[in-house]
Amino acid sequence: MLTIYAIAKRMLSSNKISFIITAAVVLCATTSGSTGIALSNGNYTWLLALMAPFFVVFYDYAKLVHLGTSKRDYFIGSLVSYTLFAVLISFANTVIYLLIDPLNKTQTVINLIELCGWNANGIFIAFFQQTLFLLLVMIFLHVLLFMQPYWYGWLTDILLIAVICIFTPIAPLRRVLVGFFRLIMFNPSALLHSALCLFLSAALALGLLILKRKAS
Amino acid sequence: MIKLENVTKKYGDVHVLKDITLKIDEPGIYCLLGRNGAGKTTFLKSISGHQSITSGIIEVDSKKISTASLETGVSYIENFARHFNLPVKKLLDIASKVNPDYDYAFAFEMMERFELDGKKKFNQLSLGMKTMVSTIICLASNKKVILLDEPVLGFDAVMRVEFYEMLEESFQKHPRIIIVSTHIIEEIAKTIQKLIIIDKGTIRFFDTLQSIEAKAFRISGLKKDVETATQNLNIIGQDIIGGLATCYIFDTPPRNDSSLEIQLLSLQDFFIQMVGRRGGNQ
Repeated sequence: MLTIYAIAKRMLSSNKISFIITAAVVLCATTSGSTGIALSNGNYTWLLALMAPFFVVFYDYAKLVHLGTSKRDYFIGSLVSYTLFAVLISFANTVIYLLIDPLNKTQTVINLIELCGWNANGIFIAFFQQTLFLLLVMIFLHVLLFMQPYWYGWLTDILLIAVICIFTPIAPLRRVLVGFFRLIMFNPSALLHSALCLFLSAALALGLLILKRKAS
Repeated sequence: MIKLENVTKKYGDVHVLKDITLKIDEPGIYCLLGRNGAGKTTFLKSISGHQSITSGIIEVDSKKISTASLETGVSYIENFARHFNLPVKKLLDIASKVNPDYDYAFAFEMMERFELDGKKKFNQLSLGMKTMVSTIICLASNKKVILLDEPVLGFDAVMRVEFYEMLEESFQKHPRIIIVSTHIIEEIAKTIQKLIIIDKGTIRFFDTLQSIEAKAFRISGLKKDVETATQNLNIIGQDIIGGLATCYIFDTPPRNDSSLEIQLLSLQDFFIQMVGRRGGNQ
């Protein structure tokens, strides 16, 4: 347990740049006052979830392995780090949604918590749903980035681009794509949404291990 | 402890490792020798599970090794390994936390012996010092198999001697398989138990240094006398100048003949003859 804690601590500390960039964007981002709608600065906290996997995969992995970390501990450490990141981002965005967004009286402020409809289930559940969704995003990115040096990573990239290119313009296929995002992002059922995010996160994490085993 | 069965690694049409079968079952310090591009790094990386192989089986302690292996029991350090840019002492401290088997006392002792400034950040160290830090971390990892890829690169003569001493001390403290790839053969000879020579992706030699001392000879003389004396012997190289010939053999030497000059081959000459493409029926 101490090993995992040490690995997670290192991953958090090597993400200083991500923290600084995210904090700078959250603090400095502005929306034009002439429009009726403003984007909540809390939305930009999600940037951290998009940047963190890049550091964990491309910066931390080789260095931790050189220090004697086993791949098993690295993967568990990554999951723990992503969970901490997800909790932290979700907490920050929820605080901004509750305390900062209402200060703007002249515009309609759009926060992703509201846009995704998570606030309909109460703020605690919204926080929880957001955490699980961000965890899924980070694990997805981790898996995608980790596969890049291998042929199956390239194949996945091509498949993802193909899915977006083919599914977007064709109406029946577009409905499938919309349906998928409705399930993982705009799901009105908190329970189903949470279960789905957890299931997909576990499937992605296990999938990477199985894929590596089959491909090696 | 380490078993390779018909291991092949191909990059496109290029064979980097060719059908290698090798068994290392005794703890010891092994030296991996080979020319540049012979396949040394690929060989070591494959054993550590950092590199996929095209076909064959690699086992460490009866456990199959692949890039998917989560626990390999192997510690591999490449030359110019990158580390977090932190003070050396902190780096050794983190290593002890992320690896439960880590021998912190050994690492700290080595840091002091090599006069590594614990407060100096990794990127501020000289190339030799960086390599030394990597090597200390790898040896202190206490894994069952230690693989050091060209660790003496960037070391001065004094550091190299100290490195060989550290290697021996580490082995005496924790006997296990330590494979060191290097180009400087003669220096490491006193430290190692067995020699592995790899050439063009195949294992050309795997035996003790004693066997080289007993079987590696240079036989010089008139061409016809040398040819007669070495007729049924394992010739690893040959030089012919006019009517004179020198044959390099790895075999029981012929009886001393006044017309022939028979000399022991140095380790370096033996290696050159094994991989130097200087003719002979190798």
